Amino acid sequence: MPPRFGKLDSKAWGDKYAREIHGFHTEPMELKKAHILNLNHEIDDDLADFLTPKAMHPSIPAYATVTVVSAPESPMGPFVYGEVKVACRAGVRPRDFVLRSFCNNPEAARELSQRWGYPMTVGDAKMIVRHDRIQGKVTLEGLVILEMEMFDRDFLSGNDIQYIANMHLARNTEDGVLTLVQIDPDYVFHRAERGRPILHVLDNAAWGDSEGHLKLRNPISMSYAIADIELPAIRYVTDPERDAFRGTTKVAKAA
Amino acid sequence: MKFGIFFEISVPRPWHHGVEKQVYDNCMEQVMLADELGFDHVWAVEHHFLEEYSHCSAPEIFLTACAAKTKRIRIGHGIVVCVPQFNPPVKIAERTATMDIISGGRLDVGTGRSATWTELGGFNVNPDETKKTWDEIVHCLPDMWTQERYGYQGRSWSMPVRTILPKPYQKPHPPLWVAVTSPGTEIDAAERGMGSLGLTFGTIKEQEIKVANYHKIIRNCEPVGKFVNEQISTVNFLYCHEDSEKAVKTGRRLFGTFNFLASQLLAAREAYPSKSYPSLGLLPSLRREASGPGDASGVPEGIAIGDPERVLQACKRWESAGVDRINFLLNAIETVPQEEVLQSLRTFAKYVMPHFQGEQHAAAAGGR
Repeated sequence: MPPRFGKLDSKAWGDKYAREIHGFHTEPMELKKAHILNLNHEIDDDLADFLTPKAMHPSIPAYATVTVVSAPESPMGPFVYGEVKVACRAGVRPRDFVLRSFCNNPEAARELSQRWGYPMTVGDAKMIVRHDRIQGKVTLEGLVILEMEMFDRDFLSGNDIQYIANMHLARNTEDGVLTLVQIDPDYVFHRAERGRPILHVLDNAAWGDSEGHLKLRNPISMSYAIADIELPAIRYVTDPERDAFRGTTKVAKAA
Repeated sequence: MKFGIFFEISVPRPWHHGVEKQVYDNCMEQVMLADELGFDHVWAVEHHFLEEYSHCSAPEIFLTACAAKTKRIRIGHGIVVCVPQFNPPVKIAERTATMDIISGGRLDVGTGRSATWTELGGFNVNPDETKKTWDEIVHCLPDMWTQERYGYQGRSWSMPVRTILPKPYQKPHPPLWVAVTSPGTEIDAAERGMGSLGLTFGTIKEQEIKVANYHKIIRNCEPVGKFVNEQISTVNFLYCHEDSEKAVKTGRRLFGTFNFLASQLLAAREAYPSKSYPSLGLLPSLRREASGPGDASGVPEGIAIGDPERVLQACKRWESAGVDRINFLLNAIETVPQEEVLQSLRTFAKYVMPHFQGEQHAAAAGGR
C-alpha cells in the first residue's frame, strides 16, 4: 500500500508564489551572528496534506514551523525575513516546505530568491529582543500577517537545537521548470534558548493559504538562537510531482 | 548468546476491518513457533499514535495472550513507558506482577520514557521531565513488588500507604532492563544494575566500547532492584533463507520499509529542543545503520539478513562484541508474507541457533 503523499497542486502554487532561480550552481554565503526565532506548532493532519508537495509525505503528526531570521551582516547589508513552513518528509528525510517568505531588504530578497530559490517577497519583517521576551513580526502593506513571542527564556546548548532543511519551490530560468530546491544550511551556534511560545497573529491568506488548510492545533516549542549560518551550494533538487525517492537529482557534492 | 523476537506490530494502510486482527494473529503465530523452536524471548513495545509503524499500545494484553499460548519462551514487556501520564506507577507494578503470575515467572520488564513528540505531545508530557520520572519510577518498582505495604512521597508522583497486589511470581522480582537509545543510557543502566536493552545498533565498534563501559560501571552499581541484571541485549532485523539472493532481496525490503515508516514520525528532538533528548532515539540509528556500509550484497554489516552462513557470521560478530542477546524484528507492515516469516524463523533455528547452543557467555547467565 503506498504511503500518504502530499496533495499540493504545485503548478498552481508555483504560478502564484515561486520565484525564479538562476540555475542551481551558486557559491555558499555566510550570515554572521544571525538571530533565529523558531516556532513549531502542530497543525491539522488531513488539511496539511494540501500544503505538502506530492513528492513528499506529511510528518506524523503534521506541524508547521514559523521562523524569523535577523541577519545583521551580509553582502547585501543587514536584513530580516520571516517564513512559514510545513514539515514534511522527502523519503526518509525531514524537510520543511516553505510556503512564502517576506524580507525587509529588497536586495537580499532578490539574492536569496535568485541563488537559493527562496519564495521571497519584500515585506516588513522585524525581530525585537527584550529581556523578558523575543518578538518576531511581519507586516505587509500595513497589515500584521505574523506576530509571535517567546517568553520564559531558558538556556540550552546549540547541540540541543535541530533545524530542518528547507525545500523551496522555484522556477529555474535555465529551462523554465518548477523544481523543489533543497537548502540545508550549516549552523555554528553562539547562543541557544527555548521558551514558551505565543502565536498572536498568523494571517493564512497572506502566507498563500487562502483556503485555510494550515489550521493550528497544539503549540510545541519555540527557540531562539544566535548562530553563524552558511547558506550552502545547492546539492539536491526534486521534481515536485514525483516521489522524492525517485525524483531527486544530485546537483553538487557536499563541501 | 540467546535469541529473541521483537514486535512493533505495524499495520499497513488501508485499515479495513480485520487488518489489525490479521496482523495480531500473525504475530501470535510467530510467537508460538518461536517458542517451539527454542527462541528465548518475545518482546513487545509500548507505542501510542504511531500510525502504521506500531499499533502496539496495550502490549501487556498481547503479551499475556502470548504467555497463555506458550510454554517456555520468556515474556519481555518492554519498553514500558515510565512516565505517569502514560502509566501510573502503581498500575505498572500491578499489571507486571499479574503477567508474571500468568506466565509462571517468565516476565522481564523493560523500562523507558518514549522518544517521539507524537507520543509525548499526545499525553501532554513535558519532554524535559521524562528522564527524571523514569528514574523515579524504576527506583520505586522493586519496592512496590516486594513490600507488603507501600507508600511514597516523591517528585513526579506520590501515594499513601496501601497494599499493592498481586506480587510477582518470580522472587524477588522479574529482571529489570533499560531501553538504551540515547548516548550514555547504557551508563544509566549499569549504574542502576539493570540490563541494557539496546534498541539501536550503533556500529559493532561503538557497541564494543559501550559493552566495556557497561561491565566496568556495573561492578560498582547501586542496584534499583534486589539483584543485578548484568546483561546486554541488542536489536536486529532477521530474514534468513537458503537462497542468498532471495534472502537479500526480501530482507532489504523489510528494513527499507521499517526505516521508511520510522522516519515519518516526529522525534522529540526534532520538535522540542531539549537537553533531555540528545539523540533522535531508536529510529534514526536504525536508519543510519541499515543504510550504512555493507558487503557486496548491499546488506549493512551486522544485519542478520542473508543465507544461514551470512546470518551466522553477523550473530558471531555481535557475540564477539560482548552482546548477550539479540532480539529480531521479523516484519514491517506485512511486507514479508507470513509463511516466509515463519520459514525464516525455522531456517534460523535449524542452521544458525545450533552454533550457539551450549555456549554460555559469562554475562548471559544473568543476575548476580
